[in-house]
Amino acid sequence: MSVSNLLENWSKYRHTHPLDDGGHADWNAYPSPIKWAMSIDLDACTGCNACSVACYAENNLPVVGKDKYAHGQAMHWMRIERYWGEPEKAIDEFDSAMNFQLVAQNFDVDQGAQFLPMLCQQCEAAPCETVCPVGATNHTEDGLNSQIYNRCIGSRYCSANCPYKVRYFNWYSYPDQEHAWPEPLNQQLNPDLTVRTKGVMEKCTFCKQRTYTARNDAKTEGREIRDEDVQTACQQACPTGAISFGNLFNPESTVAKQWSAQQVDLVKEKQDKDGTPDNKLRGYRILEELRPFPSIMYLERVRESAV
Amino acid sequence: MSENGFNRRDFLKTLGWGGTAVALSGCGNTSIEDGAEFVTSYSEPADYVIPSIGVYYNSTCAQCDAGCNITGRVREGRVIKLEGNAASAINHGKTCGLGQAGVQAHYNPDRVTQPKLNGQTVTWEQALAAISEKLAGASGAEVAFLTGGVSGHVRALLDNYLAALGSREHFVYEAVSPAVERAVNTKMYGTAMPRYRIDKARAVVSFGADFLGAWVSPVNFSQQYAKFRKGNRPEGRGVLVQIEPKMTLTGANADRWIAIRPGTEGILALGLINALGAAGVAVPGDAAAAAKDYTTERVSAETGVSADQIGRLATLLKERTPSLVLAGSAAEGYANGSQNAEAIALLNRALGNVGATIETSASTPFPQLAPRVGNRAALTALNDGLAAGKYKVVFTCGTNPVYSAPASLKFADNYAKAGFKVALAQYLDETAQAADLVLPLDSAMEAWATSVPEYMGGEGNYTQLSVTQPLMERLYADTRSTGDILLALLKQRSPDEYSGFEDFYAYLRSALLANKTALGGAGEADDDVFWNVTLSQAIIPLQGVVSKSAPQSAAPALSAPAAADASYPLRLIPSVSASIRDGRHANEPWLQESPDPLTTIVWDSWVEIHPKKAAELGIVEGDIVDVTSKSGTIQTQAYIFPGIHPDAVSMPLGYGHTAMGRYAKGTGANVYSILDAVYDKDTGELALNETSVKISKTDKRVIIVKEEGPAGGSQVNRAKIAVKVSADKVDLSKEV
Repeated sequence: MSVSNLLENWSKYRHTHPLDDGGHADWNAYPSPIKWAMSIDLDACTGCNACSVACYAENNLPVVGKDKYAHGQAMHWMRIERYWGEPEKAIDEFDSAMNFQLVAQNFDVDQGAQFLPMLCQQCEAAPCETVCPVGATNHTEDGLNSQIYNRCIGSRYCSANCPYKVRYFNWYSYPDQEHAWPEPLNQQLNPDLTVRTKGVMEKCTFCKQRTYTARNDAKTEGREIRDEDVQTACQQACPTGAISFGNLFNPESTVAKQWSAQQVDLVKEKQDKDGTPDNKLRGYRILEELRPFPSIMYLERVRESAV
Repeated sequence: MSENGFNRRDFLKTLGWGGTAVALSGCGNTSIEDGAEFVTSYSEPADYVIPSIGVYYNSTCAQCDAGCNITGRVREGRVIKLEGNAASAINHGKTCGLGQAGVQAHYNPDRVTQPKLNGQTVTWEQALAAISEKLAGASGAEVAFLTGGVSGHVRALLDNYLAALGSREHFVYEAVSPAVERAVNTKMYGTAMPRYRIDKARAVVSFGADFLGAWVSPVNFSQQYAKFRKGNRPEGRGVLVQIEPKMTLTGANADRWIAIRPGTEGILALGLINALGAAGVAVPGDAAAAAKDYTTERVSAETGVSADQIGRLATLLKERTPSLVLAGSAAEGYANGSQNAEAIALLNRALGNVGATIETSASTPFPQLAPRVGNRAALTALNDGLAAGKYKVVFTCGTNPVYSAPASLKFADNYAKAGFKVALAQYLDETAQAADLVLPLDSAMEAWATSVPEYMGGEGNYTQLSVTQPLMERLYADTRSTGDILLALLKQRSPDEYSGFEDFYAYLRSALLANKTALGGAGEADDDVFWNVTLSQAIIPLQGVVSKSAPQSAAPALSAPAAADASYPLRLIPSVSASIRDGRHANEPWLQESPDPLTTIVWDSWVEIHPKKAAELGIVEGDIVDVTSKSGTIQTQAYIFPGIHPDAVSMPLGYGHTAMGRYAKGTGANVYSILDAVYDKDTGELALNETSVKISKTDKRVIIVKEEGPAGGSQVNRAKIAVKVSADKVDLSKEV
């Protein structure tokens, strides 16, 4: 795409606010609109890391080794965050002292740990998109936040602006690094997508290579995308089936049913149910109040407290 | 790839360089230029290769003994991704991270690619001749085989080979094995490996069984766990209580995690039987008699679990039937480990769970293919024989005892006494390095085999024979499968019987076809049809044989756990990580870079210390400490971890290799090397948790490389990130 085209069609390549009527202008390109979305049940998630390793396998993620990991350069598009229960008493005291050693002594481990699979939330009003100086990250017609590698100039503004910290920068040319793919490990690489080059940003794509195939197949057959047409790599691996993925605009999809049962609306930054604390529902989106309108709904972890 | 008449210049014209690059790398060869090899054009591909389209083949995962059924995605002749086989009764289409990394075992850059005799590369003919020569001077009793768990036709061939040699010296060794569990289950339930029905239980109380992490068949159990947690299940949402001194992945997912004093699990189990009896549950006579002295006050004092908590546990078990009580390595790894496990099994019997959530499983109708399972006692027996200089020829296969034997056995020294050591190995690991002859093994993605999983999912008397088939051509021309090697060795001994089989594939095909009717192929008139169906499914469902021995009415006599030695005040609990396991996967980089779920540490080992104990010792995170037992000292980084009993410390097994490959070698410290040689009194199994240590600070400190941020897992004053809700605050009945 030429720069003039980019400038002329600026608004098209910027995100449009989901509340405005211009959102997803190109959806008519498909038999019916598609909005990829996910829901992750934190009650079912055991924190086992199968999703993360599956993502390495599917998406050609480089292993960076200990030194680079220490520098925060790990390339795990999907990572598992582990949290402890907060101490019940004297939180303020710990916090003011910033004495984490002391906090650690008082973490509540009676109910184990909490795990959170964190990946790109594919925001509808993505903070990363507005700051890209070259339009390398923008919104696709099926509701994904995409990254155009060969347009990316490596300013890393998007990463700085991402509230979830799920964008990963290629500080090195990983095929040349000792840890990533020494022969013959490179033969495992998935030919359906690239190995990214030094100096570009990358992140979770909701397994675009898989959704693309499914979408094209559905289009060829002139039908709607069904749940069974496509699974993301993390979803397919997950031993407890904690991850659901599909077209949020298809009311028959599991994801749409889950979102609707939990009364989570894509285009609201404050859900109606939030006004009723006794709603007995557990669907929520992380950092919703920042108005990025994320496409991933999490289901709260449930624990019996009487035992 | 086969030879054809295609001119190279025309070939390039047709395809362009891009196509060539793919084709060349697909063969893994670079000798096209000098005409030594040929490539096949995409314009004339083999039947099964469609450029840019993935083809899927079923096979069996070899990463652990659970034996999940998998599907490999093959693109242009290369396997690139593994998924679960949806038709499997074990894993139902799912995989764990370890299973995902199976392709890295296959494409590993540090594989052994050619036979090596005393460090020199030799041909297979020379290697086999060397074995033949050494065997000529040895009697049957002087030849020993050390393998990991084996089953299926490889086991049958191995048995035949041992018979041909006249040797009975087959030792089956697993560094981390459920040997105590098998023995106690047989005694208490009448079956060694019953089906645990987590999905049917309303409450699960697990004494250190890490069934979501590394215990027996984690992918199967994870799926049962997901059902167990569903609110719209007829039985309602299940409750999980985990009792263990070191928090495992399963403990991290419990509704209540209880840090018990190490080794006192059996006392708590008997205390619960007593409390249940007092609460009006009809406890069978033998159980009540065994538990009568275990009052709540006494149990609380000995286990460190509060009387209030014991009361709540008893209430939980009384109210929620059927329940399921599990005993895992954290309860079994003691000198009184079998007794602990028996007391826990007795609790299951008292609760009436046997038959409800503990189902008798079926064994394979082909006993010659049944899994031959391993333990640590076998290694001790082999070690004694080696020390006595009994063996002239020793074969090791799929196991690495030089690395994983406790230093106190002096296994490496004793192994050196064997006359001629043959290692069948995929990596040049510690054992292969010490061997005289190394025979390079195929990866699980190149080999033919069958297997019978020890733990079988499904219902009733279902069992299966799983098929392992090559997902691609060999990466290296000179590797062979275990079956191929055994067949070649058998041809030396009994040429009349085996010379008809060109390779193991031929043997396997003929063996399966000979039993076509018994294998469910009665309706198939045509052998090829049966064979193709078998290969496309890679699972042969079978009606198993249900045999149950009468459980013993044993009332376990619990001996008290050993008292702490004042000079070694801390109990060392070696942990088995879901990915590195006993150390065999340490050279798969995805697993090294996959953070430990609880500590989030990567690329190194660590020692977990309770915050209070660390404060007492003046240790902060990242301090390099000496961990010293009676048997030795290792150095590692300290990690302050709230999920551990204050009198215990924990280190992960599987790190600290001195060989094996670029990713494994020198990463972390080897815990096996400081384990004391203490054994379970009843089974002779190594008591993994019976090592006591002291921790002393060195003057070094590092910044621990981990995923966790500086807040150390705290969400204080942060927005809603990972949210937890009490069960009474949600309505799960209408969830999708």
